[in-house]
Amino acid sequence: MSRTLRLARDVGASLRANRARSLLMMAGVAVAVAVLSTVIMIGQGTRARILDTVQKHGLDMMMVRAGGDVQVFAPRADRGLASLLEEDARAIRSTVPNIALVSAVQNQRGITVVAGERSVLTRAFGVESDWIEIRRWGMADGEFLSAEDQAAMARVVMLGARVARELFPAGGAVGNTIRVNGDPYVVKGVFIEMGASAGGDDWDDRIVVPFTTSSRRLFGRPYLEQVVVRVRDARRMDETADAVRGLLRVRHGIASGAPDDFFVREPEDVEGAALETSTTLTSLLIGIAIVALVAGGVVIMNLMLLSVAQRTHEIGLRRAIGARRGDITLQFVLESLGIALGGGVLGIGIGAAVAAGIAALDVAAVDVTWIPFAAALIACTALGLLFGIPPARRAAALDPATSLGERRL
Amino acid sequence: MTDPHTTPVIAIRNLQRTYRKGGAETAVLRGVTADVGRGEFLAITGASGSGKSTLMNILGLLDQPDAGTYLLDGVDVSRADDDARSTLRSRHIGFVFQQFHLMERATALENVMLPLLYATDEHTDGDARARAALETVGLAHRLTHRPGELSGGEQQRVAIARALINDPSLLLADEPTGNLDERSGAEVMELLRSLQAAGRTIVLVTHDPTLAARADRAMVMRDGRLDARELAGAE
Repeated sequence: MSRTLRLARDVGASLRANRARSLLMMAGVAVAVAVLSTVIMIGQGTRARILDTVQKHGLDMMMVRAGGDVQVFAPRADRGLASLLEEDARAIRSTVPNIALVSAVQNQRGITVVAGERSVLTRAFGVESDWIEIRRWGMADGEFLSAEDQAAMARVVMLGARVARELFPAGGAVGNTIRVNGDPYVVKGVFIEMGASAGGDDWDDRIVVPFTTSSRRLFGRPYLEQVVVRVRDARRMDETADAVRGLLRVRHGIASGAPDDFFVREPEDVEGAALETSTTLTSLLIGIAIVALVAGGVVIMNLMLLSVAQRTHEIGLRRAIGARRGDITLQFVLESLGIALGGGVLGIGIGAAVAAGIAALDVAAVDVTWIPFAAALIACTALGLLFGIPPARRAAALDPATSLGERRL
Repeated sequence: MTDPHTTPVIAIRNLQRTYRKGGAETAVLRGVTADVGRGEFLAITGASGSGKSTLMNILGLLDQPDAGTYLLDGVDVSRADDDARSTLRSRHIGFVFQQFHLMERATALENVMLPLLYATDEHTDGDARARAALETVGLAHRLTHRPGELSGGEQQRVAIARALINDPSLLLADEPTGNLDERSGAEVMELLRSLQAAGRTIVLVTHDPTLAARADRAMVMRDGRLDARELAGAE
């Protein structure tokens, strides 16, 4: 067994023997590491959740909504809600560069859907066949509407997962005929479970019919709520959005200086900001935790300096029985390292427990990875070395004769 | 060449040591010369402030003389650096202190084994050696007791066992009975005598002339000089 190993074992025995003091010294670092690892895990979790949402939306998707930045309580037509037309969607597709896919979208709440004895009140969407690719939805059963359905104004309908479940609890919805506001429609497909939007809309509580069917039969109106667009190159999203804005202003005859009667929403506007906010908050909390960690290191250093003063005789004895200055330095550095790492492991335990608790209660997204743990251990090692050296040097510098003789009367 | 049987364990010549404190100089050792033969039991007495502690520290390689030579086992150690002196202490010198300086957290056995921590050689038989040392001092039945569970006399005997573990050529005892009652003190002196009988070289530092009288030979520190006068009654 090497001398260093023997010393390390001796230090371990010493730390165990002075459990109360050791734990006290570990406390500061433990709390800081617990906060640090929890914050990192929540930060990563939040980031992952937001990125997931962005992915779901599609970073390459933009949405043109009818109605500009005008009073919500104004009459419908004044708000410009009757301004966006199918022709606008067509114009976007044919004239704006960097456009991959376009779909006009209509929607209306309060649609009654009946299947046999069962009925639900839901929201209906009229969309074009490219819509599913733009939104990246999936079918659990059957298929999405086709260009032929579109051309034929077919009475076919796609059900959201919740609607399908409520109308056909036993499954097997596809192929059945249901009534939508009294008219018969054939169920062509059922969407997979989509969950809720960031805004809280239940994506599973809806039915989808071809746009031609909705505009000419179900809703009987030409104007749209939305045009959804998929661009080819997401990096050119901003200029594409500007081009769409310019086109629509011309088409709608809006005088320069007058506000838009539509609103172009780019996914980054919302998700990017959310991501940035959470990143800023995480950085701030990490900064605070690092300050706390350094404070924990300073606490260790000061308690160690105190301990050196109290243990003058022990140091003198160790010198007398053959300890070199280097052995004394090593002993105290190993002590502070042991305390810092002990505090780190303690803090990681607490942090993991807190993270598990947060995950279980689902109050925030938590991503449990090894990164905060590795970071904490590295930080504690650096801390233990850095703040252990001053006390260790002071201990090693003690004159053996004087330190032994101090108490002599 | 030096013959290990005739070479003195300690040979000091004209040792000088001066303390400087704020500009003022105090000459504590003003030319100390002495020999301690192998197996000898020497007592050094003197009033407090006479320099006997300084001499003790230099003999124990805890301090260095400003001038003069110190041959330990025939080797000049008066200019050895700090690390070399540490190694020499580990190999050649066993200390017995007035305050015992035992580790409260450790058992008697662990206390006795402590010097092995700093030994330059590997010791795989440390446990057995510590047991043997404790047996030598009559504490074979107290191996797992901690200092707090031992009497003062027993604690000092643990400290003596600790001093013996590295088989030193020199045992330095600094007021070893100073913290003990009369009976325990007498027992410790008895133990030191028996160690000498077994061949140990012992230097005892004490202010107590009656204790010094129990050594083979006593010398008196006075004004920084060691008076080589032998006490009446010594051999």
